[in-house]
Amino acid sequence: MAQSVERSFTVAGSIDEALAARLQGAVVLAGGTWLLRDPLRGVELPEAVVAVHRIPSLSEVIVEADRIVIGAGVTHEALGKALRGIAGFEAVVCAAESAANPGIRRVATIGGNLCSIDFPAADLAPALLACGAAVELETTSGPKRIDIPSLLNDRPGLLDQSILTKILLRRDLIASAHIRLPLRKAGDYPVAIVSLALDQDRRCRIAVGSVEPVARRWTVLEQAFAAEPGGFPRVPERAEALASEHNDFDGRDGTEADGWYRRQVLPVLIKRGVAALLESEGLA
Amino acid sequence: MTVTFRLNGEDYRFRDDPMTPLIDILRQERFLTGTKAVCREGFCGACTVHVDGDAVPSCLKPVGLLEGCEVVTIEGLSAGNQVLHPLQAAFEAADAVQCGMCFPGMVMSLLAFMRDNPDASRDDIKAAMVGNICRCTGYERIVDTVADCLAQQRQTAKVAGGADV
Amino acid sequence: MSEASVTVMNLPRRDAQDKLRGRTKYTNDRARPDMLHAVLLRSTVPAGRIVRLDVSPALAWPGVRAVATGADAPGLYGIGIADHPLMAIDTIRYHGEPIAVVAAETEEQARAALAAIILEIEPLAPVLTMAEALEPGARLIHEDWRGYEVITEGGARAGNIAWEAKSSRGDVDAAFARSDVRIVESSFSVGRQSHVPFEPRVAIGSWEDGRAHIQTSTQVPWTVRNVTGRVMQLPPGRVRVTVPPVGGGFGLKFDASIEPITALLARMTGRPVMLENTRQEEMATCLCRENAEIRIRSAVTAEGEIVGREAVVLMDCGAYGGEQVFLTTMTAHTLGGNYRVGATRLVSRAVYTNTPPNGAFRACNGVYNTFALERHTDEICDFLGLDPMEFRKKNVLGDGDFGPTGQVFEDDVLAPMLDRMETLRAKTGTLERKADGRLYGMATTVGTWFVFTGPSAATVNLNADGSATLVTSGVEIGSGTMMQSLPQIVAGQLGLAPHQVIVREADTDAAGLDVGVGGGRTTVSIGAASVAACAEVKEKLLRAAGEMLQTRPEDLVLRDGRAEISGRPGSGATIPAVVAHAQATTGPITGSGAFTAKNTPAMAGCAMGHFIDALDIPVFVVHEAEVAVDPDTGHVEVLAYRVVQDVGRALNPRAIMGQIQGGVVQGLGYALHEEVTITTDGRIAQNDFETYRLPLAGDVVPVAADLYEGAPSLGPLGAKGAGEVPILAVGAAIACAVSRAIGKPVRQLPLTPPRVLGLLHDREPQPDFPHIASGWAANTLG
Repeated sequence: MAQSVERSFTVAGSIDEALAARLQGAVVLAGGTWLLRDPLRGVELPEAVVAVHRIPSLSEVIVEADRIVIGAGVTHEALGKALRGIAGFEAVVCAAESAANPGIRRVATIGGNLCSIDFPAADLAPALLACGAAVELETTSGPKRIDIPSLLNDRPGLLDQSILTKILLRRDLIASAHIRLPLRKAGDYPVAIVSLALDQDRRCRIAVGSVEPVARRWTVLEQAFAAEPGGFPRVPERAEALASEHNDFDGRDGTEADGWYRRQVLPVLIKRGVAALLESEGLA
Repeated sequence: MTVTFRLNGEDYRFRDDPMTPLIDILRQERFLTGTKAVCREGFCGACTVHVDGDAVPSCLKPVGLLEGCEVVTIEGLSAGNQVLHPLQAAFEAADAVQCGMCFPGMVMSLLAFMRDNPDASRDDIKAAMVGNICRCTGYERIVDTVADCLAQQRQTAKVAGGADV
Repeated sequence: MSEASVTVMNLPRRDAQDKLRGRTKYTNDRARPDMLHAVLLRSTVPAGRIVRLDVSPALAWPGVRAVATGADAPGLYGIGIADHPLMAIDTIRYHGEPIAVVAAETEEQARAALAAIILEIEPLAPVLTMAEALEPGARLIHEDWRGYEVITEGGARAGNIAWEAKSSRGDVDAAFARSDVRIVESSFSVGRQSHVPFEPRVAIGSWEDGRAHIQTSTQVPWTVRNVTGRVMQLPPGRVRVTVPPVGGGFGLKFDASIEPITALLARMTGRPVMLENTRQEEMATCLCRENAEIRIRSAVTAEGEIVGREAVVLMDCGAYGGEQVFLTTMTAHTLGGNYRVGATRLVSRAVYTNTPPNGAFRACNGVYNTFALERHTDEICDFLGLDPMEFRKKNVLGDGDFGPTGQVFEDDVLAPMLDRMETLRAKTGTLERKADGRLYGMATTVGTWFVFTGPSAATVNLNADGSATLVTSGVEIGSGTMMQSLPQIVAGQLGLAPHQVIVREADTDAAGLDVGVGGGRTTVSIGAASVAACAEVKEKLLRAAGEMLQTRPEDLVLRDGRAEISGRPGSGATIPAVVAHAQATTGPITGSGAFTAKNTPAMAGCAMGHFIDALDIPVFVVHEAEVAVDPDTGHVEVLAYRVVQDVGRALNPRAIMGQIQGGVVQGLGYALHEEVTITTDGRIAQNDFETYRLPLAGDVVPVAADLYEGAPSLGPLGAKGAGEVPILAVGAAIACAVSRAIGKPVRQLPLTPPRVLGLLHDREPQPDFPHIASGWAANTLG
C-alpha cells in the first residue's frame, strides 16, 4: 500500500484553487489511470497532488452552434457519448470510444490523455490535431488559448505554470476519420494512428500519432492533398500513393513494434482514412 | 487524510494516504479478496468494481477520489447464502469457470454492461470484454452465456410488458 | 449397468459458485495481519560475481525481522542435475536472479530495507544466446558443471550443454544416400511463451513443531517438499506442503522456485511469512516455454515415402537446467512423432545461457516441434508437388509403426482422425468468404503428445453418512479434474453420486507421493490410483454387506447408494447402514490405491539420455485453421478453427470442450501475439500486460471440436488427459495456413503483424544457424 502520511492531497473546488496548488508544485490528478502506474515502473508517486475531479466546469461538454467546448476532466466515455452523431467529429468519437479498454475509458480523461508526456500512443492527440482543436490553459495571468501542436511540443514548460482546462473545437468540419492500428483487434495501444479531418473549405488536416514520440500533423501530405483537383484526393488509392511519396516519418522503435513498421503502414492507414471520410455523412 | 465512502452498502472511513489505490484497501484493509490484483495497471479487469454504478478498475483508483462515492465489490452482490445473480448462476450452469480468478472482475464488468446494453450483440459483448482478460477459457463460453442471459432478460421484459401475451 | 454409464456426465464444477462470488481463497488471498511479508533483492545484471554482499544494514531497518541469502540455504536442486541454488551464491547467472530476501512487518518496510543491502557485483560479459553459448571457447555459465550432483543418469553433458538426449533408429546415412530420394531441409526458430497465470507464484511459509509448512500455489506439492528439503538440507519429511485453489498454472508451477524461501524465513523468525511475485517479477523471471532452434532434414521418395530423417533441436534452458533437461526427451516423441519414417536420428540439447531460466508450459516442447514438423511437412509437399492432406493421410503413424526410439504404436488413430476432420469441416463449412479481399489460407495439421504417467497415490475413506473422502496430492489448477473427473470416477466405482465424493485439498502429510498436475496426467494417474483405492473399499464394503445380508459378496453390486443383490434394484442395504455395520464389526472402511508408469519399452540402443524411452499413452490431435492475412499491415485474423482430439474416453465432454477452447486460444496467443524478447542486458523485455499481448475476446473464435474416442489407453475407463494437448498443434496449423495465404515459407513464431509484413516484403531474415553443424553427428557429444 502506498504510504506517505506527509503527502499533500488537495481536492480543488475551483480552477483557481487547482492552479494555486499546481504553482506550488502539486501534480494534477484527473482520472489517475496514467499516474497510478508509476509505482510499478519504480517511479514514486508525487509528494503533492491536486485532484481536479470536483471542479464542475472540467467535466462539462458544451455543444454550441459554432463550437464545442470540452472540459479537460471529461472522460473518454463521456466524450464519446456527448459527440456521437455530430457530423464532423467522427475522429474524436472514434478515438474516445476505442482507446485502451472500456474500464479505462470510463475513468481516463481527455486532459490526462493530452498531458501525459511519456505516452506517444494517446488516441485523442492526433484526433484533436486533425480536428484543429485549441486548448485553454489557466495561468496566473488568466486564461491562455493555444493550439494543440503548441501544447504537445512544450508540455513540460507550459504545464508547470498552468492547468489545462478546456479543449475547443470549431464546428467547421464536414467529416473526420480516425484509423488506429493496434496489434490485436483492440486493447493495446496502437502502433500507428492516422486522423484526418475535412473542413468546409475542403481542406484536409492530417495527423499521425504513435509513430514518433509526439503526435504531429503530416503537413507535407496535407500540401500534396491540397494540390489535388478539388482540394483532396477522391480516390483512396491515390491518397495512399501520395502518402507513400511524402512519408517523412521516422518511426520510433518500441517493444511492440519497430520504427520501420510504424512508418510502413502509414500509407494504407491514409487510404483507409480517406475511404472512411468518403463514406462519412458529411461527404456521402 | 480521511476519506469516507460507502463500501458494499456501509460507510467506510479510510485514514491514510489518499493516493492508495482502492484495490489495496479492499484486499488488505477489508479482506475483500474477491477483487483480484492481477496486472495492477488497468489491462486485465480482474479488479473491476462498481463506483457509483460504473464498472472501473480499482487498481488505478486513488482512494482520495472516492469521497462520498458508492463502491460495490463482488462480495457486495450477494450476502450469505443468497441466490446467485442470474449471470453468475448461468456461468455456473454452463461450466464456464476454470481457475476462476478473472471471474469476479468479469462479472462486475458484464453486469454493468448488460444493464446499460440490453440489446447487445455478440460482437458488442466481445468489445465490452476487451479489458477483461481470461487466460484459461478462451472466452467464447463466457460470451455465449452473456448472450443467453441477455436474450432471457429480453424475453422476461417482453412477457412482463405484455407485448408477447 | 456399465461403468461408463454411471461415470460419463457433464458434471458442473463444485468450486464455481465460490469462485463466482469472489469467496475462494487462493494462496495470495490468505495474507493475515500477523504475517511477515518478504521481498527479494534481484540481480540487475545478467552475469557477474558477487564481490560483496552485506545485509546487516537491512537488518537494522524498522520492521525487519530477518534477512537471508543463498548461504542460508546452500543446497542445489534441479531435474536431472542439481545446478540451481535457491538464491545466487557467489555467481549471478541471470537478470532477476534472487540474491537476498528481507522479511518485515509490511511489504513497504521490506522494500525499503532492500535498498539498504550493500551489494557489489563484478559484471561478466553475458552469454545471451545459444549461438554464443555454443561457440568454441565460450565462457562457461556453470564453471564447475562437472561437480554437480547427477540426479538422473544417462544424459551427455559438457560445458554450456546442460543435457543432451539422442534417439537413433536405422541407417540414416544410407537412407539419405539413396538415389531415389530428394532431400528437404528446413530451419525454424521460436521465441518464449510466458504463462501468465492470474495468480503469480506465491507461498506462505510457517514453522510448526519443528517442521516447515508451506501453503503455496503449485502444481506439484511433492516437488516443493523435496526441493525445500534439498536447499535447506533437511529431510524432506520435515516439510509439509498444502495447496489452496490455484489461480492458473499452465506448467509454470510444475517446478519449485520461491516457495522454499518462505520456509527458510519462517524458521528464522518463528512467524508466518508470505512471498508473492509482483506481476513484473513474475513476468521477468517466468519459467517460460523455452525459445528453440530446429534444423530438420528429410529424405523422401517421389511417391512421398519418408525414408530418412534427422534433426537437431536446441532448447534454451536459460541460466539453470530445470525442466528443459527433462524436455530434451520429448523431441523424440514430438518431432519424431506424427509420421512413419524409415531411419531416424534426432538430437536435442538443453543449452545454458545468461537469461532467466525456462520451464514447462502446456505441451512443452511439443508445441514448437509440431510447428516445425508440420511446416517441414508442407515444405516437403511443396518441393515434391504432393497434396499436403493426401501426404498426411498416407504417412501418419498407424498400427505397428515404429517411433524414433523403436516404440511400436498400437492401432490406427491419426488416419481416422483425419477423416473425422473432413467430416467436421463438411458440417461446419469453411469461411473463405470472410477473408473479404485479404489473403486466405487453410491448413490441416497433426500432432503427437502423451500422457505423463508416473506415480500417484489415492486413499478413499467411506464415511457413515454414505459419503466418500478422496485423499490425494492432486491440485485443482483450474482445469477441473479435481472437481469433475475424479469425483465422477470415484462415484461411478462406488455407486454414489459425485456430490457425495469429498475431494481433499492436497496435503503432503495426508496423501502419498504424486508427480503432480501436468502432462495431462491427473485424470489418468490419480484416476487410476483412485479406481484401485475404490476396489479395496468395494471389496470391504461388499464383504460387510454380505455379512449383514447373509449373501455372498459376489452376488452384490453397489448402485444408487445401496449394496444391492444383483438384478434386484432397491434390495439389500444402504451404504450408510453397511458402513455403520463395518465400523462396529471390523472398523472403518478405507482403501488405498497406487499407479505408476508402465514403462513401455523402446528398442534397445535407440534412446540415449531420455527420461521416457517410449510413450505409455500417446495422444493425437488434428487441428485445422482458416486465416485471412491483411497484406498491407500483416495482421492475421483467424476465421475458423477446428479440432479433432483423441481423448480415449470423454468422461466429461463439456469440460473437455472448455479445455479445448482455452488451450487453442493459448496456442493462438503463442502463434500470433505473445512475444518474449531478451534485451541486450539480458532482461525479458515484456514484463507487463501492455507489452505482452495475451489474446483478448475479440481475437478469438469459437473452436469446433470433435472428440475421438476409442484409442487405446491405460487410463480409467480408457480416458486420456484432455487438458494439456489442445495447445499442441495450434502454432503448426496457424503457421501452415499463413504460409499458404502469403505464399512464403513461415519459419518463425509468433506471427506478429510486423513479422508477417516483413515476410510479405522479404525483409524478414529466415532462420540460419551457423552454430548447428551441417553433419548431424557433429552436433552430438558422441
